[in-house]
Amino acid sequence: MEIRDRDFQREVLESELPVLVEFWGSWCPPCQKEKYILEKLREEYKDRIKIVTINVDRNPRVAYRYRIKCVPTYIIFHRGEAIYSDIAAKSEDQLREMIEKALGKIA
Amino acid sequence: MKLHNAHKTCWNCPAAILKGNVDFRACGQSLEAIRQRIEREGLLIECARLPDLGHFEPTITFEECPEWRPTKYGYLLENMRVMILGIDGYLGWTLALKLGALGCEVSGVDCFLRRKMVRELGADSVVPIYPMEERLKAAKEVLDIDIKFRKINILDREKLGQFMREVQPEAIVHYGEIPSAPYSMIDCDHAIQVQYNNVIGTLGLLFLMKEICPEASLIKLGTLGEYGAPLTGRPLFEGLFPADAILRWRGREWSLGGELTPRDPVSFYHVSKVQDTFNIYEACKYWWLRSYDVMQGVIYGVHTDEVAADPRLRTRLDVDEWFGTVVNRFVAQAILGMPLTVYGEGEQIRGFIALEDAMECMVRLISSPPEPGQYDVVNQVSGLYKVSELAETVARVAAEFGYDVKIQRVENPRVEADYHPFEVVSTKLPNELGFTPKVPLEVEIRRMFELLTQPHIVERIKKVAHLIRPRTWWSGEKRVVETLEVYRPGTRRRRGFKPKLITDRERFPTSKMEEVERAVEALGEGGDGDKG
Repeated sequence: MEIRDRDFQREVLESELPVLVEFWGSWCPPCQKEKYILEKLREEYKDRIKIVTINVDRNPRVAYRYRIKCVPTYIIFHRGEAIYSDIAAKSEDQLREMIEKALGKIA
Repeated sequence: MKLHNAHKTCWNCPAAILKGNVDFRACGQSLEAIRQRIEREGLLIECARLPDLGHFEPTITFEECPEWRPTKYGYLLENMRVMILGIDGYLGWTLALKLGALGCEVSGVDCFLRRKMVRELGADSVVPIYPMEERLKAAKEVLDIDIKFRKINILDREKLGQFMREVQPEAIVHYGEIPSAPYSMIDCDHAIQVQYNNVIGTLGLLFLMKEICPEASLIKLGTLGEYGAPLTGRPLFEGLFPADAILRWRGREWSLGGELTPRDPVSFYHVSKVQDTFNIYEACKYWWLRSYDVMQGVIYGVHTDEVAADPRLRTRLDVDEWFGTVVNRFVAQAILGMPLTVYGEGEQIRGFIALEDAMECMVRLISSPPEPGQYDVVNQVSGLYKVSELAETVARVAAEFGYDVKIQRVENPRVEADYHPFEVVSTKLPNELGFTPKVPLEVEIRRMFELLTQPHIVERIKKVAHLIRPRTWWSGEKRVVETLEVYRPGTRRRRGFKPKLITDRERFPTSKMEEVERAVEALGEGGDGDKG
C-alpha cells in the first residue's frame, strides 16, 4: 500500500499494529522491484505488522523528517516511535528476518 | 472500462513541470529554495499544457485529465509532440505515419545516412522509397498528416538542440542509429563508424534532453542481441533482474532485484547498444530523465495500414547481407529461386516481431511514460523461432505463391553457438501495456510475397541478388560463404533446444493492476476506451 505525506500520521504513527515503511524512489530500480515482494509479505504478515511504501520525492515532508539519505530505507514504527531501521534492497528472506527481529523487540 | 495507462498521473506526464518544483533526491542533494517552499506549501507542480491551473498537487490521472484522450492503444496526449530520430528509416518512417494518423504532432530528423551506406555497399531498398520531400507531400495528401522534418545528423548537437528547442518534444523515439551487426564487422573503420555514431549520438542526445526537455520520455531502440544467448540457459529478463532473483555466494545472499542483468553482445554493433544502455541508465539516475530501453527482437515485414496506403508512403526494405534481416532476406531469396541460406546448423534461436506489431508496441510505450528517473526495459518480441524453422515457414508460404523453394545450410560467418537454450521473458508489454501480438508470422510473410512479387520490385531484388549471400566474417575474413548442404523443406529433422517465451506477469496483486488486466481483456481486438 502506497501512502502519502498526509496519511503518515494516521496510517503509521497512530497505527495499532507495528508498521514497516519502505521509503523508495522512482529512480531506484531495486525499489521498483522490491514492491512485488512487499506485496506478498503484506498479506502474509497482515495480522502482525502493517507494510506500507512511501515515495520520497512525492512525499518530501516525511522524507525530510526522517532524514532519508538513501533508498530503499526501511523504518519500523511502533506506537509512533521508530524502533528499527535498515537500508539497501533485501531478498524476501532478509526482509522476513528484519521483520521478525523488530517484532521480537516489541515482544 | 479502464485503459492500461488510466491510473498513471502527473508524475508520468511530460507536460508536468517538475524541474524547479520537485526536490528530487530527498536523500541529501536537495536545492534549499525548493526544499523551503515544499516545507511551507507542500509539493505543488505546474502544467505546461494547462498553465491556468497554477500550482497544484500532481495527482491527476490520465483518465481524469482533459489533455489525455482515449485511443485503442491507451490514453494519448492530445496532439502529443513526438520527435523521431532516424525518421527516414524502416521503422522511423512507419512510426511517423502511425503516430500522425493517431493525431500526434510528429517531427523528425534524419541525415539519410542509411540510404548512403546501403548504396555505398552496392545495394538498395528493394521496395522503392521516395525522397523525403515527396514522402512528406504524400503523407499530407493521402493521410492528411503534417510532419515537421529537418535534415540533421544527430551528431550535430547544435542543430539538433535548436530543433528540439523549437519543437519541445514530449516524447523522443530514438531510431537514429546504424542498425547492423555485419556492417559493424566489415573492418575497423566500419566498427568505429557504428560505435561513434550510435554511442556518441545517444550520449549527446541525453545531454540535450537534460537541458531542453527533461520531462520528455526517451524511447530508445535497443536489441535482444544485447543479452546474447547465455549458455547457462538463464532467462533473458527484461533488462533488470526480477524481484525474487538472488545472488548466493559463500553462504551469504543478496537480492538482485532491479539490478541490470548481464549483457553479452554478439557484435561491435551490439556493443554500441549495450554502451547506450549504460549511458541512458546513468542519465536517468543523475538527471531523473525517464526512458524505455526497447530490446526489440529481429523485425520483419512490410505492412502497416499507413505505409500500404500509397506507393509513395512505403517504407524501405533491405535484403542485402548487411541490412536485410533474416525473414526479409528469405522472402527475397524465395522470389529469386535461390535456396534460402541458413547459417551453420540453423538451430540458432532468436526473438522476432512483425513490423505492424512493433509499431503498436511503440505507440503503447509512448502513451505510458515511465516515472521521473525511471530507466525501464521491455523485451519487444512476439515469437521465438529457430532460423531453420523460419526457412521452412517462408518455403511453405512461397509454395502458395507457386515458388518451389529449397533450403541451403552455409558456413556460419558469425561467432555464435549453433545450439543453445533460449528463454525470453516478455511480461511488461502484454501485462502492463495491454499489447497482444496481432500478426502471425505466416500472415506477414504472405503480405511480403504479395508486395515483393510485383514485377518492378522483382527487378529490384534481382539487382541485389549477389549481395544476399554473406561475405562478412566475424574473423575479418572476406570471402563468400560456401554451401554445406541443400535440402528440401520438411525433410530435415529438428534438433537442439526448444525456445521458451514467458509472458505471464510478475506477482502484482494490487487491485489497480487487476482492473487494468480486466480492461485489457475487454479491449480485445482494438476496442476503443471511453473516459469515465
